[in-house]
This record gives sequence, structure tokens and C-alpha cells, in this order.
Amino acid sequence: MKFSKNVVLSAVIILSIALFNGHVFAQTSSVKSAARMMQENTQQPPALIDPNIERREINESDIDTEDLEIGIFGGFISIEDFESSEVVGVSLAYHINENLFLEARYAKATAGQTSFEKLSGGAPFLTEEERDYTYYNLSLGYNINGETFFTDNLVFNSDVYFTFGAGSTEFGGDERFTISAGAGYRLLFTDFWALKVDVRDHVFTSDIIGIEKDVHNFAITLSTTFFF
Amino acid sequence: MKLNRHFLFVIIIASAFFSFSVKADDLVVSIVEPYVDFRTGPASEYPIFHVAEQGESITILKKKTGWYKAITNKGQEGWVSAEQLGKTLKPNGEQLYVPTGSFEDYTNRTFEFSAFGGILESVTAMSVATAWNVTGNLVVEGTYTQALGDFSENTLWSIRLQHHTFPEWKVSPYLTIGAGGINTRPRSNLVQSGDEVRNSDFYEVGAGLRYYFARNMVIKFEYRNIIALTDRDDQERIEEFKLGFSVFF
Repeated sequence: MKFSKNVVLSAVIILSIALFNGHVFAQTSSVKSAARMMQENTQQPPALIDPNIERREINESDIDTEDLEIGIFGGFISIEDFESSEVVGVSLAYHINENLFLEARYAKATAGQTSFEKLSGGAPFLTEEERDYTYYNLSLGYNINGETFFTDNLVFNSDVYFTFGAGSTEFGGDERFTISAGAGYRLLFTDFWALKVDVRDHVFTSDIIGIEKDVHNFAITLSTTFFF
Repeated sequence: MKLNRHFLFVIIIASAFFSFSVKADDLVVSIVEPYVDFRTGPASEYPIFHVAEQGESITILKKKTGWYKAITNKGQEGWVSAEQLGKTLKPNGEQLYVPTGSFEDYTNRTFEFSAFGGILESVTAMSVATAWNVTGNLVVEGTYTQALGDFSENTLWSIRLQHHTFPEWKVSPYLTIGAGGINTRPRSNLVQSGDEVRNSDFYEVGAGLRYYFARNMVIKFEYRNIIALTDRDDQERIEEFKLGFSVFF
């Protein structure tokens, strides 16, 4: 028993010596190289005080920056005249300052049938491929920073944000210029992990069902994002 | 004797951990101004819950926009503004450099990302661009534009060179010259009428004006004249006006 304790103790001592050694060696080698440099550089008078402190060079650029926010989202999109569908997508945002951010979103959904197609039972308006609804947008967002108090002691940073952007929607065989605007709520569980609820309207001009009109496609999504 | 051995054990373990903690790559700065405010979140709206005093050392953990998360020796963790942190000193006695997105930081930028909205021959167009600042005057840029009209869908890409004659001006003009490609696809309801997808190369010349607007942000207005080298007898001339903004790194 006593023997095994000694073994553990000596192992720990060896380990800690090994851990220290790196520093000690680094220090001695730096002292040696400094001495060598002094010998070579005889013109310069030796420093009066040589503290021999090994300084580790850590730069400002080593600071971990978390201005980018990557995320995945899922939810529902109501495609005007073509029912509501599930939508899934990815997002990437760059936080310009504490209030403004730039966000790119790309998402996919599959449109359903118009009520006419269902009721008449006739020929469908669109082929299966043309029912694929994909969109992207680039938005500028504004954060209203705040905190959310669940209880007295359970507090998270959060913000309400508004976005306005432009992009395109590919649907029914065509790609259309799309304006998007919306609002959301971001709950930051940690500095780098957040949950977002987002409501956004996507407006574009469409002539898929014959007449040309502005269609409004509302999407409500839940995202999880990570800052890096 | 038994107690002594335990004491020794604790000291060895603690010293081993100490050498670990020293190895971690954290930047420690000392406060030279009277105080530094610690906020609960990375924005000026968040309340100040702690004040670190002159002479104290704080460890910088991470950065989010213009805010730095720091921890005091007593374990208080909070967010410090770039302005206040910029007045602290590094272990070697130098002042800590913190980018604040100022105009000076803009002139020293390496990369720039821009987004534009505009009109390309009466069609709404959206563009994105990534630029690399080679010298203060010369900038290499790659652009991608999508213009979705009633009759066709157009995508354009180009590689171009910008010349900023007076980069030190807050409102500064620049000239561009470049080459690229254009892809035109007719709307699906026009495919039947005989139109088809066309690809052409083009040359472009243009001019722009940039304005350092706010922290980390620049507003740009641009005009470009595109000469498309089509397969037909006539070369096609396309004009584009666009307004947008950039962020820089």
C-alpha cells in the first residue's frame, strides 16, 4: 500500500518535472542565445538590467473572433396558390457591428397543388420538377439588443431583429427577383450558440397561374446558429 | 508525515496545472486608465455590472464585433468595449491595438465584401463583389450579378481592376476596367417563341464613388458600361447603375 503510494507520488513528480522542463529548457536556451548574441554584437554595450524573463509573444490577431454566424433552419412556407410546405435551409451572417448584420439565406421547399388542380382533377399546372421551390436572399438586419429573464437567476442575452433584403426565387421553371422582409428573435444560450425564430415575407411577381401578380410567400422558421 | 505527503502531492499537482494554465494562449493586459467597464453583453445597451480598476490585469477571451470578453483575476467575466480596451497595455508595455472599423482601418483593409442593388438596362439587378486591396490605389475585384427581367434571366460575372486615385479621401472616386461573361436565358414562356440561352464575353469600363459612412461600413455608387461580344453582327452595349455598401476585413 505504502509502496504503491510512493510509486504514484514519484510518477506525479516525474510528470510535473517533465511539464516544467519545457519552460526551463526554453528559458536556458533563450538565455544561451541571448548570451551568444551579446558576444557577437560587441559594439553595443550590454544591458544594465537583464531580467531574463521569457515573454511569450501573443498578438491581437490571436484573439478568437466570433463575428460570423452559421446556421440551419426549418419551418413552413406558405406558397401563394400552392399550399403550405415544409422548408429547410442554411444561413450565414456577418455581424458588422453590435446592431447591424448581413445575412445570406438559401432554402428549399416543394410546392403543393392549387385548389383548381385538386378540385378539377385535370392536368397539373406544373411538372414535379417545376414544383421545387428554392430561394436565396441577402439581407441587412438590425438587432435590438436585450436580455430575456426566464427566472430571477436564469438570464440569457437575446435580441429582436428586423431584416430587409433582396434575392431570387426559382419556382415554376423561372427565377424571379424577390424582395424579403421580416423579423425574428434570437436567444443566445451561450456566446456562440443561439436559437432563432424568424418570420419573413418573400414578394415577387409571378404569372404561373396565368395572370401576372405580386405573390406573398410567408415563411416561419426555427434556426439554430453558431458563432465562429 | 502523512499530512506532509498530501501537502506535497497537492503542491505538485497545483504546479503542474499552473504550468498548463500559463501555456494557454490568452492575452493578458493591464489597465492604465482609471477604470474599465464590464458589461453583461457585447453591446453598449447592456448594463455595466463590474468595474475593473487601474493597475488590474484582465485576460481577453474572445471578440464579438467591437466588444471583447474579458475575465479579471477574481473571475469576473464580462464584455469590454474596443475603445476602452485600446487604452490598456500588453505585457511588453505596448499599447494594445484593437481595430475599431475606423477610416484608418478601412485604408489598411485587405479584403472587402460588397452587395449592390441596381438597374441593368431597365432590369432590377443584384450584385455581390469580393475585393482584394493590393496597394492603397489598386484593388482587384471579382463580381457576380443577377438581373431577373420580365423576358430573360441574366447572370454576369467579371474580374476587374479598380484604381482609387485618392484613397485618403473619405469621399473618393475610382475607375474600373475588367472582363467577364454574360449568360442570358429567356423566360420559360418565351422558350417556345424561339429564344435560346446565350453566352457572351464582355469588356467593361466604369467609374464609382465610395464614401466611408460608419464604423466598418462603406457606401458605394457605381456606373459601368459593358460591351458584350455577341455572335451577331452588332456588339451589344449594356449600362448599369448600382448603389450598395461594403464591409471590410
